[in-house]
Amino acid sequence: MQAPIIRTEALIKQFGGNRAVNGVSLEVGGGTLHSIIGPNGAGKTTLFNLLTKDFPPTSGRILLYGEDITREPPHAVARRGVGRSYQITSVFQNMTLGQNVWVALYRRERQGFLNFWRHADRDASLREEATEILSRVRLDDRADRLASELSYGDQRLLEIAVTLATKPRVLLLDEPTAGLSHEETESVSRLIAGLKGRYSILMIEHKMDVVMRISDRLSVMHFGSIIAEGTPEEVARDPGVRKAYLGS
Amino acid sequence: MNPRASRRDLLLRAALLAAIAAVSPLLMPAKIAAEILICAIFACATNLLIGYGGLFTFGQGAFYGLGGYAAGFLMARFGLPWPVPLLAGLLMGAVSSAIIGAFCIRRTGIYFIMMTFAFNQMIYYLAYTFRNITGGEDGLAGIKRPPFGLPGMTSLNLDNPTYFYIFVAAIFVVSVLALIRIVESPFGRVLVATRENPRRVASLGFSVSLVQLVAFMISGAFTGLAGALYAMLYWIMPIDAVHWLNSGYIVFTVLIGGTSSMFGPIIGIFIWLQGFFSTLWARWPLLFGAFVVIVVLFLQGGVIELFRRLSALWGRRERAEAS
Amino acid sequence: MSLNLVFTQLLNGTAVGMLYALMAFGLSIIKGLLNIPNFAHGAFYAVGAYVCFSAYERTGSFWLGLLCGFVASGIVGMVIERFGVGKLLASAYLFQLLLLFGVALMLEQAIILVWGTAGNSKSPPEFLQGAVDLGFTLYPRYLLFITVASAVIITAVWFLIEKTKFGAYIRAGIDKKEMTQALGINIDALFTLGFGLGAGLAGLAGGLAVPLVGVTATMGTDMLSIAFVVVVIGGLGSIYGAIPAGLIAGIVQSLVTIWAAELSTVMIYVAMLAVLTWRPQGLLGER
Repeated sequence: MQAPIIRTEALIKQFGGNRAVNGVSLEVGGGTLHSIIGPNGAGKTTLFNLLTKDFPPTSGRILLYGEDITREPPHAVARRGVGRSYQITSVFQNMTLGQNVWVALYRRERQGFLNFWRHADRDASLREEATEILSRVRLDDRADRLASELSYGDQRLLEIAVTLATKPRVLLLDEPTAGLSHEETESVSRLIAGLKGRYSILMIEHKMDVVMRISDRLSVMHFGSIIAEGTPEEVARDPGVRKAYLGS
Repeated sequence: MNPRASRRDLLLRAALLAAIAAVSPLLMPAKIAAEILICAIFACATNLLIGYGGLFTFGQGAFYGLGGYAAGFLMARFGLPWPVPLLAGLLMGAVSSAIIGAFCIRRTGIYFIMMTFAFNQMIYYLAYTFRNITGGEDGLAGIKRPPFGLPGMTSLNLDNPTYFYIFVAAIFVVSVLALIRIVESPFGRVLVATRENPRRVASLGFSVSLVQLVAFMISGAFTGLAGALYAMLYWIMPIDAVHWLNSGYIVFTVLIGGTSSMFGPIIGIFIWLQGFFSTLWARWPLLFGAFVVIVVLFLQGGVIELFRRLSALWGRRERAEAS
Repeated sequence: MSLNLVFTQLLNGTAVGMLYALMAFGLSIIKGLLNIPNFAHGAFYAVGAYVCFSAYERTGSFWLGLLCGFVASGIVGMVIERFGVGKLLASAYLFQLLLLFGVALMLEQAIILVWGTAGNSKSPPEFLQGAVDLGFTLYPRYLLFITVASAVIITAVWFLIEKTKFGAYIRAGIDKKEMTQALGINIDALFTLGFGLGAGLAGLAGGLAVPLVGVTATMGTDMLSIAFVVVVIGGLGSIYGAIPAGLIAGIVQSLVTIWAAELSTVMIYVAMLAVLTWRPQGLLGER
């Protein structure tokens, strides 16, 4: 059994009097798509933000590939191969699609100091790769348009393309289909399902049909704790889960 | 962009800058034109932070003054070759902005602005207090312009207004070109990304604070260089250069000229050269303040934005007519 | 160097610090409500001081002077918010900042036009003159008055903010802007009044300062810098952070005067650096 890629140990996050995450220990296995679901206010987003290092936990540990990243800042964790997307699409609005992808590619290619002197577009290989990445989400024909000109659904695809451009090994996806139409939801969930195996994915999602269809494992959160865990079928049959969603 | 296109673009920009520098003394006294070019360097350096970095710095006067004091001190006391005071201004600007930037960058938004202002005031207060170095409120006087010479040529006396103007113009062209290069480089693009969405940039693996700090240093270096030139201009480094009025003024010129390109701030300085108006009336800041208020309330976006909108309108009309 | 001196300076510092606190408290309210650093705050202080001075000169009543100073700054603040800042709330941040900067310039120059560049001074009212014998030192009555008066004003404003309906609106406006608007509260009027309150507090601080330091053309700028530093020390999140921060600034400044008078003001900045290094969120900030 492969060691888990992501592991949390008794993670707690307290905001004043409110314990949003109450001792969460979970594991994400390599190459799997692990979803976190739960009713509103269950603490999913807070847990997610702890993993993306938006703020430190009150106590507990986070381990990536067995290494303790609890105190590391977001950009350091990103360099370890963790990519993320946002609930509200987060692209560089006033830059072109190509430039958006370029930012991600450049970090991956140039590890040291940023170059001050050559023109940013001088490197043809980066430009070609950016076009190739955009073609995977069918946005390559609009590579020179500003991101602000895209529809919301296309911006979402751009954001995912940018995240993939850093060649991460782990993906943290925050409600990837939020705000998308039915067709857009379909294409994004197909895209994500296609990433399984190559990437280890942790996802928060509200759309149950998407979650049930593409996830390998589920963790159900309620009042800051995990109340059920297992395959989609196991979780669907769990009485505690039903109570959490329908009972209270 | 292939090397040829990139080089052609650079030459075009250089030509445009040289043209601005060449035409100005024909329209106004050489001293005023020189001051415009010096302030333009200052404004472009500030635009690196405000326009490209999204960092609203209201304390650039500190580095302008420190650069000027460092250069001025050397020029008043010692007869050093001309690169030395310029380098001193540049280095002083870079180092002081690195130190101050390290404190300011930690905070965002409103606190960043307040802290840049606070540090500016601190430097002003120090300049006022340590009269033996800075001359206090009387300014650092007795500055002597060094002769300009390159190996293999006879040295030129920079007290000659024509030679001095060419000297300033050359530094102006080189400085602004350098700044343009920097904003179009990978560093520049990442800086713009940090303005657009700092969290996203961090999630892609960049240290946003490091990028911003380096931008602060580059801006400080060129600001200090401009300060050094200013010290040469009137053979004195006045304490007004460090005053918050100067800091706010330079932000205003950046805004009015337009933050989206490095040519905007240059236009901004041409629109209102502080040095010129200050000689007209002792209470001129009242007019300047009123001007700022009027522009901000009624003419947002600056002049370049006006041009952009007009040309967009024109283009749309042309396309409409063609179809 | 006697302990007496230290205690005396501590008391002096407390008085000055309370003025700083009052000033910075007004700045914090404006910052919390409108999320802008008020570059015109020093000008409000100066307006308050000069108006108080003139009213005091004319009528012989210091209390009337204080009231006039408060009202004048408050009105100027409200006008600026209503016709300036308020109109720019939807625009880029930079415009609002520059507007306040421009207004500060205009006010500063306007003061010089009206009252001239030479400073002036005025002694405190009769019953506040002289000193109180504290045993180890003679403590000026007026400094004691400043301390008490500032404390009373701050407490009154605290009461206003924490215990009244208007104050609840202010707190809501600071914490949750959109929600406040959605509840049908007139947020424009709230901003105008809040700005006026902050400005009035600066004016009151100016009026109180008149018998202490007189009026000078640059008093606004000097105070603005200190106010900014105090707010930074006070920290993120809480509008009340400025109060202990102001006290610290005043006390630091007064104590340093014992050893190196010319460095006393710089020490306030050093205090800011120290706080930023060891407690970046400020005194009462959260993180």
